[in-house]
This record gives sequence, structure tokens and C-alpha cells, in this order.
Amino acid sequence: MSSGCPPQSPAVAKSEVPVEGECPLLAATFAYWDNILGPRVRHIWSPKGDQLMFLSDGDVTFLANHTLNGEILRSAECGAVDVKFFVLAEKGVIIVSLIFDGELKGDKNTCALSIILPQTELAFYLPLHTICVERLKHVIRKGRIWMQKGYNIISVLSLEIVPIMELLASMKSHSVPEDIDIKDTVLNDDDIGDSCHEDFLHKAISSHLQTCGCSIVVGSNPEKVNKIVRTLCLFLTPAERKCSRLCKTDSSFKYDTGLFVQGLLKDSTGSFVLPFRQVLYSPYPTTHIDVDINTVKQMPPCHEHTYNQRRYMRSELSALWKTDSEEDIPPDTVIHTDESFTPDLNVFQDVLHKDTLVKSFIDEVFMLKPGLSLRRTYLAQFLLLLHRKALTLLKYIEDETQKGKKPFRSLRNLKTDLDLTVEGDLNIIMAFAEKLRAGLHSFVFGKPFYTSMQERDVLMSF
Amino acid sequence: MIGSPDVVAFTKEDEYSQANPDLWVLPEEFSVPLHPLADSNPWAKTSYAKFTKDFILISEFSEQVGPQPLLTIPDDPKICGTFDLNYFSLRIMSVDYQASFVGHPPGSGYPRLSFVEDSRVVLGDSKEGAFAYVHHLTLYDLEARGFVRPFCMAYVSADERKIMLQFQELSLRFSQASEYLKAGNRRAFAKELQRKLRDLEYTHSVLQREEGLQREAGPQCMYSAHAVEKANELANVEKSIYEHRDLLRQISSYHRHPRRDPHAVTCQKCITECLSECEELLEKYAKFSGPFSYANRAGTEEERQGRTEIEGVEEEEDEAIKRRLSYTPQLIKAKSAKCFDKRLKTLKELCDETFYEATMELLKETERSFRGDLCYLHTRRLDRALRKKLRVTDFLFEEDLGHDDEEDVGILRPFCAVNHAADNYTLQNPPHIVLGPEPVELEALEHPDPQDPVSETGHTPESELRLGQGQMDSSPSDQTLETQESSEETKGSFSSDKSGVGPAEKPQSVASIKSVAPDPDPDPDPDSDLTPDPKHNTDLERESSSEELETTGGEDENDGDQTPVSLLEVVSELEASREDECEGLAAEVHSDLLVPIDAACCMAQEGFLYEASAPETAPHQPSQVLVVNQEPHALLPIQNDYTVGSPCSESPTTGLELPVGVLCDAVSHAEDGSDCTMSASTGSDRAASPIGYGGVVTLRQRRRAGQGALRFVRQYPFAIQALWCLLSGRTLVVLGADEGRVRRLVAALALFVPAPGKCGERIQAWLSCPFTLTDLQRWKLIGLQRVASPVGSSMLYSLSRYSRYIAILDADQKTLRCPAYHGKLLSNIADHRTYIRRGSTYFLHLQGTLCRLAAKAFLYTFTHHFHLTVSFMEGPEVVEGRRRCFLQEQLGLSEEDSQILLYLSQLITQQYLHPSTGSSSAAPCFSFNYTTSLLYKI
Repeated sequence: MSSGCPPQSPAVAKSEVPVEGECPLLAATFAYWDNILGPRVRHIWSPKGDQLMFLSDGDVTFLANHTLNGEILRSAECGAVDVKFFVLAEKGVIIVSLIFDGELKGDKNTCALSIILPQTELAFYLPLHTICVERLKHVIRKGRIWMQKGYNIISVLSLEIVPIMELLASMKSHSVPEDIDIKDTVLNDDDIGDSCHEDFLHKAISSHLQTCGCSIVVGSNPEKVNKIVRTLCLFLTPAERKCSRLCKTDSSFKYDTGLFVQGLLKDSTGSFVLPFRQVLYSPYPTTHIDVDINTVKQMPPCHEHTYNQRRYMRSELSALWKTDSEEDIPPDTVIHTDESFTPDLNVFQDVLHKDTLVKSFIDEVFMLKPGLSLRRTYLAQFLLLLHRKALTLLKYIEDETQKGKKPFRSLRNLKTDLDLTVEGDLNIIMAFAEKLRAGLHSFVFGKPFYTSMQERDVLMSF
Repeated sequence: MIGSPDVVAFTKEDEYSQANPDLWVLPEEFSVPLHPLADSNPWAKTSYAKFTKDFILISEFSEQVGPQPLLTIPDDPKICGTFDLNYFSLRIMSVDYQASFVGHPPGSGYPRLSFVEDSRVVLGDSKEGAFAYVHHLTLYDLEARGFVRPFCMAYVSADERKIMLQFQELSLRFSQASEYLKAGNRRAFAKELQRKLRDLEYTHSVLQREEGLQREAGPQCMYSAHAVEKANELANVEKSIYEHRDLLRQISSYHRHPRRDPHAVTCQKCITECLSECEELLEKYAKFSGPFSYANRAGTEEERQGRTEIEGVEEEEDEAIKRRLSYTPQLIKAKSAKCFDKRLKTLKELCDETFYEATMELLKETERSFRGDLCYLHTRRLDRALRKKLRVTDFLFEEDLGHDDEEDVGILRPFCAVNHAADNYTLQNPPHIVLGPEPVELEALEHPDPQDPVSETGHTPESELRLGQGQMDSSPSDQTLETQESSEETKGSFSSDKSGVGPAEKPQSVASIKSVAPDPDPDPDPDSDLTPDPKHNTDLERESSSEELETTGGEDENDGDQTPVSLLEVVSELEASREDECEGLAAEVHSDLLVPIDAACCMAQEGFLYEASAPETAPHQPSQVLVVNQEPHALLPIQNDYTVGSPCSESPTTGLELPVGVLCDAVSHAEDGSDCTMSASTGSDRAASPIGYGGVVTLRQRRRAGQGALRFVRQYPFAIQALWCLLSGRTLVVLGADEGRVRRLVAALALFVPAPGKCGERIQAWLSCPFTLTDLQRWKLIGLQRVASPVGSSMLYSLSRYSRYIAILDADQKTLRCPAYHGKLLSNIADHRTYIRRGSTYFLHLQGTLCRLAAKAFLYTFTHHFHLTVSFMEGPEVVEGRRRCFLQEQLGLSEEDSQILLYLSQLITQQYLHPSTGSSSAAPCFSFNYTTSLLYKI
């Protein structure tokens, strides 16, 4: 080696993650900006399984280093996680990088956690982008605490990198198709009671819509589960369907945070254990549908769900902050509690609010002859109505509050004017509107809820 | 000087550590906020951005001054506000991966051009609240270092989600723009190379001559220092010539270079043309120049001149070469200018002007199409996607989606800056776009390619320009908060008569299609607050629809580059294609139609076949006269002086239907007609109504009409009766002396007319003559002039004569004469106490309600057992009973409400059975009953 060459870099640590099936992820990397050497890759995770494309470690390192390009100019607030998304046709890859600051060896460094996929998977990946990013963001929060304590961040990041690889692999094989044939759903039955009891279907769809289209369907019979999954997915947008997953016929997937609808198979004992933390970390409340016993349960509405979620996150991060040893990484399944927050484990409750929108739709759609396109057309009309009503509601609130500058105080008028006097109807439309304008529930219903929570906390502190 | 960090070093430890008394408490920077800003205001997410709305930024990494912003679209400094474009350019250019890919392969003798694929990056500056889709591309410049000039185009928005959700579409649009720029740049680069080669050859010849002279002048075998210098110079020039030829060869071989970008889209025709042109050019160039053409062909200027004349015949054979000779070569000095002395070419100079202009137009159109709030864009696109499945009921209350059929084509339109047809492009991996672009109204225009008028069709960049007009409908609130402080003056301007000019009234020449003048529309703001409570009136007008203020960019003339010899010669035949736009349009409008089924009832069909590929519709299907023609006059020909409409015509609307030609731009021939007694008013009032002039009724017009509708509902307590009349098929006549007022009322009430026709054929906005019974079948909403003349008395006579079949709304007296309505179905859209504040909100509400009505009517129409007997035992009365039961018990409808559903069902049936006639020309059954009419007053 000539004397002019820079010193040889130490080999990059690498973990191989065994993943079942075809994993579209090529690699995940953790890189940081070394104040002397510039961008450095610290760790590479690569899936070990069927892969369509192969990237050498050198390529991965090259790409990962460049995710930090320009970050020397970074002027983000402390703790902010910025997302960069690259599509590099020259290399045929997509890179998703989360840029954050963290303390390494006593210095503040800019770091990048990246995942690399083939460019051919762009259409597959894009609908899942938000899910991946939100999950990675949270693990970065934990990782930053770990870095602050001088511990190795890699072990923390692995907690989410591996599940994301598994998620992408499972979505590759079991995601719900964008176009669902109504013949594969309950809506093609001759009669409303053919596949499931009438009120069960009504409840399931109604609750599914009230929880922003986010549902888990559990059961012992994979066909039955998948039929309901497909039925629920009919009420989603094509992009949301791409974020939904059918159940496996032989064994169950793990619950994955962020998917809209997912089918999960019960084990041989007839049970399925839902991870509380993951369900709570879902961006929307979830409906739980058991097709074996025809039960429908739902989580509290968005503003409550978000509040609980944040409380839990804060509690989890606090617990991590208080950890004394690097070996004590709290497993995700443990519910962290502190003095101020005790999560309510009974998150799934009965569907309290009846609606007329879904009820009349269910009643009417079965009047149309199956096997033709009639029901599909009627469904499209129903969805069109819901989307329009949601936009109307949003616009109404926008007008009333001058785009949020004033508090919203005319819920009663809204209900009357927009024909949403039935609570279930309002919930459904609000859920649609929430997806359009995140935070709407909190804006409309948040204040009284927060006040009651504060009062409860005060009372509990005595 | 002692700075704060130094001071900190001297502070006592215990004092300093007091800042964080409890080490076990998680610092906020490591936590998540319990109440983020979005909770208190979901609209405030983007409010901390320093720019007011989304824009496109083009930046360059200049070798002289570093990253610098070049231009923004729109080119309005107000939009960028205090946002630091320089800093942002630095940021977006510094993430360029392309620089890593550009490089000289070691050992290559000549400079190599790197054909690097574009890279796309989404990044953000969370502190600034700015996020951007950045598209990096590299252009070639002979003068630049390494011959490359790195550029990027960025779509800058305050909403990160908006960018990610529309990533594929943004990518597609910017790829297209990039292809435009690069194609133009290759062309310009090749031109430049040719010029440079000519300069070099000329220089070579001069040097050679000088060297020869010196050699002759000096003693044999002795070379002066000057001669040696000349010889070196000559060698350098020769080397340079080889290098430039190699560059020319490289740039010529661009299209043979395999593309690595699966999302790159290229025009096949361009590739084929370019390949052949490149080969031709190289061959000719070799023939023309030889090893060093000037040296070989001419030793002196005179000889060169003579040579030129000699070769005249040959040059005549090759137009291209002749043109090239028009360039006067320059002598190249031995030492070129220093790096920082030279002026770098501008982006426009780097690209052929045609391509540059096409790029700018495309980017402007892109900016327009992505303008607005994400939730409105998103819903609008979902709305369209769903409506495509609802052809069977869509005609009832929705604006025409005809052009949206081509939306997908629009997304995948040919990536060709010039006028190559849509079937010439290839998209290696068409993206699965969820969110489609705005309606591309004219993009599918095809133009005969001048090079092959038989087989080729064209596409002009100018047509892109017009695409944006559809976009303007996009969102009612499409600006960030800062921009919405406008249109105060439009408050409560119902009585003001400043309506925009309806599309049909604009001269629809081809030229007018291409350049849309700034909208002079001082229309009442459709969103103006109508809440009676005055205290709420402040700030409610802020939400001005920016689309109303927007103008489409002007027409860019073809620069008329006639250089046929240049590489990648794909001179745009814009003018020619413009002339052919009309032809393209004429064939354009076609939608999925129902398969005609010859049955009395669509229920008899096994298949609901409207999705099947529709057979060609019959050119003129005689409309079935379903009118209850008991009125003796109904069968009589309409008066001679009535030039529009004739009961003898094949279609009830023949003659009445305003000519809908290109773009449905019916400049009413009827109105131009001789003694037509229909209004020939040219007053400004006429502009008040967008309906009734034959132009396609757009969503924008309908949204504007929403304002009028809300005003009507608020102003008239008996509005519900009027709406019921319209929805149940009873013709409503709006009578008034003031044309403007009548037209406005008609425009507002037109929203409630089922199946108004694509161009509002079922609505007559202003009529100055008596009408007949046939007219009542044909028109469901009529604006009638009240005149105090003999004509007026005959009109009043016709009114009273047909009063039992119609409803009469007297705009002057503010009365309504019609049967009583006791239903509840419409109470929600006709509540004068509604708290809905804005017309656009009311329009959305109305859309939802009418959508629900259409769904019920669909259900009623296509539920088999409402129309067919289930068993032989059943009689028709049983079926009738089922129908009644459904309407009254299941849907809970009153008698009057049932009439609405029955009427809508009738229309659906007719549309389904006779799709070829469509809603525009086929009138439904004309039925009436003898219900007593009542007079309602305010």
C-alpha cells in the first residue's frame, strides 16, 4: 500500500438475519459521521434467505456512506429524526435513511440508519414506507438513549430491523392484492347469513371503519379468516390494501404494527396472544375480530388511542433511560410502568356505537343479485359517499375554526347539518377524516378527554 | 474575547448541574411529546415553513460559485418568502449521488462522457419545515469541467407526506422534464461539438499553413523555436480534434447506451430517429471532414471558397451539411480562458430552446397539478377512481369524467418533448400510481406527424399547458395559511354581477385553447361565508381558491430551429400539430358505455354488463318519445320563429342542443341564428351562468354554483319545494326580468337537476319566448324572461297554460308555485338554518347527499325482485307491493320522496337501456299528475 493512501478501515461488523421466504430488503446499515474520518458504516444487517439481488459489502458500505452526504450542514433540532429517501437508478437501489444525532464516544455525531431495497421493489415498498419509518423512528429514540449512556446501539436497532425484514418478507408473499375480486368476499354470498351472522358482519365492518380501517382478524380456519380480511379490505383504498396481509395457512405471522388489516391464525390451543405494546403502537386504533366466535371488539377512538400510545412510549423510554446496564435492554413485550402511568390492558372493548350507514348498506347490498357487478357498483357508491362525507366534515370544521385557529365548538350543529346525528355514523366519518387530516380527533374531542385524564391522574396520585 | 463556552468552563460544577436536577427524569429531547402541535391544530403542521406554497426549484452545482438556485416555478418571490434558496440549494445539491457515479475510467485515452442515470431523493429540513423531492440530472457542456454540469429540479413543499404519497407521480413528471432537458442538451452539445470541430479544423489548417511557410522560409533541417512551437500547437490541435470527434461519437451513441433506470421512459420514435440520424451524421461528417478537412480540402481561404463551390452539388444533396457550412469557423487560440474568466452557459443555452420551453411548460403544469392540500388532492383522486366504476349512475349528478378516461394515458404519456404519439413510448416499469394526476383534458390530442402524416400523430408540449386548467379545480383550500388572506371584497357579493366568463362564451379557437388568459373572473367567491351571524364573518373569506387566481402560462412559440443537420434532430412541429388539435379532440371523447340491451327492463338481463366493452354506438338512435303526449299542442311543430328545437327532429334535443364540437365549445349557433328569440344578450349578466351554453360543465363551475345554491337555500324558505320539483323531474321555470339574477338562480339550481347532460342540455338558462309542452320535456330548468310586451303576454299565457305541469319560481316576486312537498329526504340539503358557511362546503355536502340518492335509485333499479316476479304465482300487484314496501318501509320514504327515487330510477333505466343516446339527448318520460299547486311566498 502506498504511503499516500488513507489508513485502512476496520472491517464493518455484519449480522446475517435468517428470514423465511423472499426478503426484498437487501441490507440495513447503521452509519455515522466520524469527525475525523467522515462517514463511516458501523454495522450491516443483511437478510439470509431467498434474494433476487445481491449487493456486496463494498457496495453497501459505499451506499450507506453516502446517505450522510450533506449532513454536515444539518441544523435540525436535537432529537429530530429526518428521513431521506433515495432512488438511485444507477445502482438500481432504493435507500431509506433516517438521520439523527447521537452521542458516540463522547462526541455528538450525525448518524444514519438505512435500509436498502432493489429499485424494482419501489411500488411494493412505497405503501409500506410510513410503517417502516414510524417503527424505525421509535427504535431510534431508544437507540439514542442507549448511545447517550455509552452503550452499543446495534443491539437496540436489531430489535426493529429484524422484524422489519420479516414484515417485508411476509408482505411479499401474503399482502392483499390491490384489486380484490368481490367473489372472494362475504359480499358475494347469496344471503347475508351464508358466511356469517348478519349482525356480526355489520358490527365487523362498522367497527373496522370506525377504527380507520385498521383491524385484526383472528381465527382457526385460514380460509374463513382470509375471506373476512378480503371483505374488510374492500372498504380500504388500494394503497391501504397493499398495507394489509392475509393469514398464512399453516402457521401464523406475528402481529405487525402499522398494517391496516391482518389475518392471524390461532394456535392449536385455539388462542392467539396479541402483543399489547405493538397493538398500542399502531397508528390507528384497531378492531379485533374473531371469526370463530363471531366477536367484534374495538379500541378507543383515535384521540384516546394516540394519547395512550404516547403515554406508553414515554413510559418505555423513561424505563430505558433508567436502565443501569447494557444487558438490561427491556424486551418489547414487557409493559413498562412508572409512577405516573399504568396502562389499561383492557384496550379492546365492545362496539358501543351503532351506525346507520353500514347497517343500511349491509341490508341493501344483499338485495342485489350476486355474481354480477351490481354489488361492486353499490359498494363503490357507498365508499364514494363515505369519502365525500369525510371531506365535507373536514371542510366544515376547517370553515368553523378558520383552519384550526379557533377551537371547534359546534359539534351539535355539525351533526345536524351533515346528517351525522347517529354516533356510529359520526365515528365512521371522523375516522375517514382522521386519515385525511391527522390529529382531527384530538382537535375535536381532545380537550375534554385530556382534562378528564388529568383529573384522573390527580385523583390517583393521592 | 471570551465566549459563552469558555464562561461555562469556569462555572462551578454544582451550579451548572442544577440545570438538570433529576438525572432520572428523561430529557424531552429523548422523549416524545405528549401533546404535539398537530393535536391543537391539525392544519398547523406546515405553518412554520417560510414559504407560502409549494414551488419548484431548479438549482445547479456551479463549478465557479458552488450550488446556486437558478429559477423557481412559479416565478414569484412572494412564494418563497424568506426561505433561503441558497442554503436549500446547497442542501439539495450536496446529497447528489450522481457525482459518485461520474468518473473517468482509468486508462482511457480520450475524455469519456458518463451517461449517468438520474437520481431521485426526498429529503427535508425539519427545522425549516421544508421538504423536497429532488431530481438530479447531469447535462453536458463542452466548456465545463469534465464536460458535465450537475443540475437538480426540486419540488419543495411544507408537507412531507404529500411528497411521499405522490412520489411516483412526481418522479414520473420530473423524469419527463429531465428527459426533455437532456434530449435538448444532447442536441445542443452535439451542435457545439460540431462547431468546435470546425473551429479546430480551421485552426489546424491555419497552423499547418503557417508551419509550412515557416518550414519553407527556414533552412533545411533546421527548426526554429517558433517552428517547434507551431508544430506542438499543431499536434495539440490534432489531438483535440480526435478527442472532439470521439466525444461526438460518444454523444451520438447515447441511444445505444442501455438504460439502467427502470423508471425511465423514452420515446421509441425519438430513439429510432436519433439512431438513424446519428449514424447518418457521423457518416456524413466523416465524409465531409476527412481526417482534417480543412487541411485536406483547402490550404487557403480562396481555395476553400473555391472548394466550397465545387462541392456545391454535393452540398445540395445534403441540406444538413450545407447549413453547417453557414457557420464561420473561428481560430482557436492556444490558451483558453481561465476557469473563472469564462461565462458558463445558462440552462437555456445548454438545452435546445424548444426542449427548454417544453420543460418549463411541463414543470409549470406539474406545479399546478400538485398544488393544494393533500387531503383534497387525495380525496379527489379517490373520488375519480370510484366514479369510474359508477358509469351507470354517474350521469345523474356528476360532472363529466370523459377526459379522465385518459388520465392513465396522461400519466404514461409519451416522454417526448416533441410531438411523437403516445404509442411510441416505452416505460420500462410503469409505476403503480395510486394518486393520479389531475384531469388531463387535452393531453390525448394526437397530431399527424409532419414526417409521416399517415402513420404518425403528434403531441405538443403546449398541450401540456392546458392540462393545468383541470387542476385548478383541485382543492377548495389549496394554500397554506399564509396565503389565504384574500378576497375580502368578494364577501356577500351575490348581487354583484361579476361572474366569470363561461367556457362556452370564450372564443374557442385553437389559439384560445392554447393560451389561457389570466382569469378575469371576479366571480363571487364560492367560499364566501353565508352564515347570517355577522360576528362570524371575519376571516371567513380567507380561503380563496388559488386556482381562481392562477393563470396558465403563455404560449411559447416554437423557436423554429431549422437546423436539420444537428444531432438528435427532432424539431418539433408544433405549429402543424396545433392545427390538428381539433381533429384529435373530435375523436377523443368517448367513454365506457353500457351495452345496449333490447329489453323492456334491465332487470331481465342476467348480466350487469355496463363494464363490458361497449360496442360502437349507433350514430343516430331515434329517441324514444316517452312523453305523455296528451297536450294537443305537443305534437305540433314548434313555431317557425323558434329556431332552436323542433318536435319533428329525431331527438328531442336536436336543434336545441347547442353544437358541441371541439371541446364542446358550443358558441351557440342557435344564438347566432337569425331571428332566434332566445336571448342574444351580450351583457355581462350572461356570464353569470356557466350552464346552458353547450360547454362541458366542469367541477369548478359546479363548485361555484354551490355558493349560489347555498344562498338560495338560505334566502328562500320554500327552497325545499323547488329542489323537490327539480329532483322529481318537474320542470322549474325561473321567471324574472333581470337576466343576471335569473341566470344566477338557474346556475345554482342546475346542481339539483338530475342528468343535466354533459353540457347542461337539459337546462335553458335564459329564454325570451313562450315555451311549449315539448320544451318541458326537454328542459328541466328554464330561465324565462319577464317582458312587458305582446311576447310577454304570450309567455305568461304559456306559463299559466302549463302551470299544472311545472313549478314557477318568480325571482322578482320571490314566490314559488308548485305542489306541496312533505317529505324529509331533502331536509338536509334545504335547511335554511344550516350552519354550513361556505358554498364549497355546501357543494361537498350536496355531492354526498346526491350521491346517496343516486345509490338508492341504483338499488331500486337493479334489485331484481322489485321488478320481476319471483314465481309464477305472483301477479304484478305483488311486485308492486314489494316496491312500495321497499320505498315506504325500508327506506322510509314519503310519497313525494318516492317520486324522486322513481324519477331517478327511470333515468337510470333509460341510460342503461339506451346508453348511446346518453343523457344529453334522450329525454326521459314526461309525466305529470294533477296535484294542486300552492303558492309559496317569503
